[in-house]
Amino acid sequence: MSHSQLDQLIAMANQIADNNTHHDSEKASVDFIALHIKKFWARSMKQQIVAYAKADGSALNKLAREALAQLAEKYS
Amino acid sequence: MLQHFDPKQFINKKIDPDKDYGTPISKNSGTSEQLITLHIDGVEIAVPPGTSVLRAAALADINIPKLCASDNLEAFGSCRLCAVQIEGRRGYPASCTTPVDAGMQVTTQNEKIGKLRRNIMELYISDHPLDCLTCPANGDCELQDMAGAVGLREVRYGFDGHNHLESEKDTSNPYFSFDPSKCIVCSRCVRACEEVQGTFALTIDGRGFDSKIAAGQDDAFIDSDCVSCGACVQACPTSTLMEKNVIEMGQPEHSIVTTCAYCGVGCSFKADMKGDKVVRMVPYKGGAANQGHSCVKGRFAFGYATHKDRIKEPMIRDSIDEPWRAVSWDDAMSFAAKRLKEVQAEYGRESIGGITSSRCTNEETYLVQKLIRAGFGNNNTDTCARVCHSPTGYGLKTTLGESAGTQTFDSVKYADTILVIGANPTDAHPVFGSMMRRRLREGAKLIVADPRKIDLLNTPHLKDAIHLPLRPGTNVALVNSLAYTIMSEGLEDKAFITSRCDDKAFIKWQAFITEERNSPEAMESVTGVAATDVRKAARMYAEAGNGAIFYGLGVTEHSQGSTMVMGIANLALATGNIGREGVGVNPLRGQNNVQGSCDMGSFPHELPGYQHVADDEARGRFEAAWGVKLDDEPGLRIPNMFDAALAGSFKALYVQGEDIAQSDPNTHHVEAALKSLDCLIVQDIFLNETAKFAHVLLPGSTFLEKNGTFTNAERRINRVRKVMPPLAGKEDWEVTVALSNALGYEMSYSHPSEIMDEIASLTPTFSGVSYARLEELGSIQWPCNEQHPDGMPVMHVEDFPIGKGNLAITEYVATEERATRRFPLLLTTGRILSQYNVGAQTRRTENQTWHDEDVLELHPHDAQERGVREGDWLGISSRAGHTVLRAVISERMQPGVVYTTFHHPGSGANVITTDSSDWATNCPEYKVTAVQVEKVTQPSVWQKNFADFNEKQQGHLRSGRRNNETAKQ
Repeated sequence: MSHSQLDQLIAMANQIADNNTHHDSEKASVDFIALHIKKFWARSMKQQIVAYAKADGSALNKLAREALAQLAEKYS
Repeated sequence: MLQHFDPKQFINKKIDPDKDYGTPISKNSGTSEQLITLHIDGVEIAVPPGTSVLRAAALADINIPKLCASDNLEAFGSCRLCAVQIEGRRGYPASCTTPVDAGMQVTTQNEKIGKLRRNIMELYISDHPLDCLTCPANGDCELQDMAGAVGLREVRYGFDGHNHLESEKDTSNPYFSFDPSKCIVCSRCVRACEEVQGTFALTIDGRGFDSKIAAGQDDAFIDSDCVSCGACVQACPTSTLMEKNVIEMGQPEHSIVTTCAYCGVGCSFKADMKGDKVVRMVPYKGGAANQGHSCVKGRFAFGYATHKDRIKEPMIRDSIDEPWRAVSWDDAMSFAAKRLKEVQAEYGRESIGGITSSRCTNEETYLVQKLIRAGFGNNNTDTCARVCHSPTGYGLKTTLGESAGTQTFDSVKYADTILVIGANPTDAHPVFGSMMRRRLREGAKLIVADPRKIDLLNTPHLKDAIHLPLRPGTNVALVNSLAYTIMSEGLEDKAFITSRCDDKAFIKWQAFITEERNSPEAMESVTGVAATDVRKAARMYAEAGNGAIFYGLGVTEHSQGSTMVMGIANLALATGNIGREGVGVNPLRGQNNVQGSCDMGSFPHELPGYQHVADDEARGRFEAAWGVKLDDEPGLRIPNMFDAALAGSFKALYVQGEDIAQSDPNTHHVEAALKSLDCLIVQDIFLNETAKFAHVLLPGSTFLEKNGTFTNAERRINRVRKVMPPLAGKEDWEVTVALSNALGYEMSYSHPSEIMDEIASLTPTFSGVSYARLEELGSIQWPCNEQHPDGMPVMHVEDFPIGKGNLAITEYVATEERATRRFPLLLTTGRILSQYNVGAQTRRTENQTWHDEDVLELHPHDAQERGVREGDWLGISSRAGHTVLRAVISERMQPGVVYTTFHHPGSGANVITTDSSDWATNCPEYKVTAVQVEKVTQPSVWQKNFADFNEKQQGHLRSGRRNNETAKQ
């Protein structure tokens, strides 16, 4: 079993989102997810997934996509 | 000058851990202000009530002869040697069983007492071989000492009568022998097995003169329940129970106190030495973590340090298909540095990284992450805590404000209910397991949440216990239903919540947790645990008085590991079980220095002391001290490094004392990643699985060969002291210094104490730590700074580092790894007592006697369904891979769940585990893998390839060594 690096990043972003649907509002969830990725992911990982989110993003769930939009400027 | 006599001087005197005071410290010590004053041989002494006359005398350095008494055992009063006379009392009471009384006048020596003692000794010696000169205990025999002390000069009875002198020796245990001909039946071993270890493997068989010590039902030691902890050997006053090493080597001539390098308990040991050879390791009574106890690993399994497989010289090679070439340290360093620089020149600054070791010292770990951040110029540093306790760091920091356990081990003595979740202390943290068992025998209640029926549930004299056998992967569902019960039944600690917890967070949490879907009844179908048991357990914990939670990798190694850690902290906060003795949230750390490696900034996002790399103020301090600009973005974590390696952007890795090829999940993936590297530098004591993929092999040093510190699971910083020179000439920190200098980032330290001084200057929680303070205090539990100059045993007493406790929402999200028609069983993994982690150390000792292969445990029902019998070869398949193990059928398992360990590389347990991981930290989900199991007749393809590859690499190592030997001639 192997996977591409991007597949793995997508799975990770979606998983963070799935575990953080419970914040006060959708905005708060998106903020939390964005901050989590910002704080814990390496620059190269952020750049890669931001690039994917911009170009396609179809495999990302809604919260993850919105969170990555927040990071788009810094990690393009 | 005349000095004022203070009778209290004796109790204020520092206890000497090398002296045996005869009976344990009185339970009233420290709690009772009132002291009892008495006279012993005319000396006025004041001691706490409950102290024995024997101990009171010993405190005043009046040493009454004794044989059956020892200060780690309750008084027994069988040998009568410690008889004294007390004014106004009849006869000769045993001073060990006689508590002090106010105004007591005790006489310990006079003609009558002397005669009585000589008579007792005479009887003992009449049934004891007179081979003192050739006896292995010669020089360390209490019986011999007492015969001398009482002045025994003759044995009038002769030696021809009925005796035990021809008794047969039991040498079945690999580490110690049992020679009943030397036994005086003082029962110290039996009591040590019960009171200290809690196993109850030994007993006294027969009555009167026929009494003898027996293991189990008069079995050989190896066939009995004995777990080889060594407590009986240590307790034995003669050579009856004796280390085989002492029998072979003779008595040690000096000894050095150091810290065990196995599990996170961090036991203190005296390394008993003969020159630079370790004769034996004896648990040190002055060690605050273990208080004189040990397990089979720390006590006996140290032979790996001098094993023939040790790597003794640096080696290099251009490709992994080539034999190794032994070279000088300088050549190895320039080779490694050149390669690293070439990779960075071609693939960029972020294309290299390193892994710090949770087995090495704090100082060594600190240096590796410093080399990576300052020398490599990126934050691609991680440690094996990634794959074990990273969720603890995240979860506890979020809820309590600090990434560490809240208590001392000793605190369990005050616990009323002990809740153990996903931990197996009697196997994985044995010395603490024994402390827990002692408390359970005293009547504390036990709740175990674990898919397996762990041994703690079989504690002798266990009273109230509940087992919550949940399905693997449903921890959060269970912890939520426990919290639901607490809140819905009004069992919470309202005063604590009001004063100590964040209001807003609590109100939100309360609304969430009391939703019906979190009730035990609603969650029953998810967890598989009866709702009534969950409710009972919740009450038992919340209403305990002192409820203490202990957890292990069964909590963290899940897709919701971090959520579960927060769920546990929620329980403690809601019930006010935090901030005092007997309570708390206690992660049981796997490796000796997992806590330390996390503290020392091994994680890619955190500088030492959990200071985020994006924190300009903190980073600025490190930049100033290290003289370089540091990256403000986190680096890659271990699993991310593997993914990046396969993608071609990560090309070189420096691994210190860590075997990622064996210990990390999804072996196929890891091996492919390692093979794709242009430069892999492995620093280890053996050619471990990872080293087989390496280009540079740097010899590591064992804990016996270096100075430094380890930090255990209770945040206790303990000194590691060098007892022998490093085999290859360098301690591990010196290797990192050399590599750094070869790379052009200058490091210069002459002793690890200087590294600790640098750590203290940059880490606010360590600012008061120094080697001088460690010498003075023995050990220090961080935080240790201006506010807490002696450290902090119990945390969060007044407030939390984040001010108020933060109850976190813990929504249950099922793992994607679930049983299917194709993979209908759930595999969970764990450890056993005799082996440690990847087994690199313990497999090279006699501990192999107990566990020389990993097996697959399954429930009789699952076995029957597949026609499996005990000992059959079983093929285990998951979506990640396939391996073959032998079957063990066990009722410890629940139907549908199978279990194995990963102590042997050829078992390939991690060929099956997958890349699922914790959402917050990427800690792998080792504890849940969907598998199918079927009978097979041969090893798996991976195992065959493994065997071939191993043979080839061992050949490459042999030729490297051979070449070197030829070159030297």
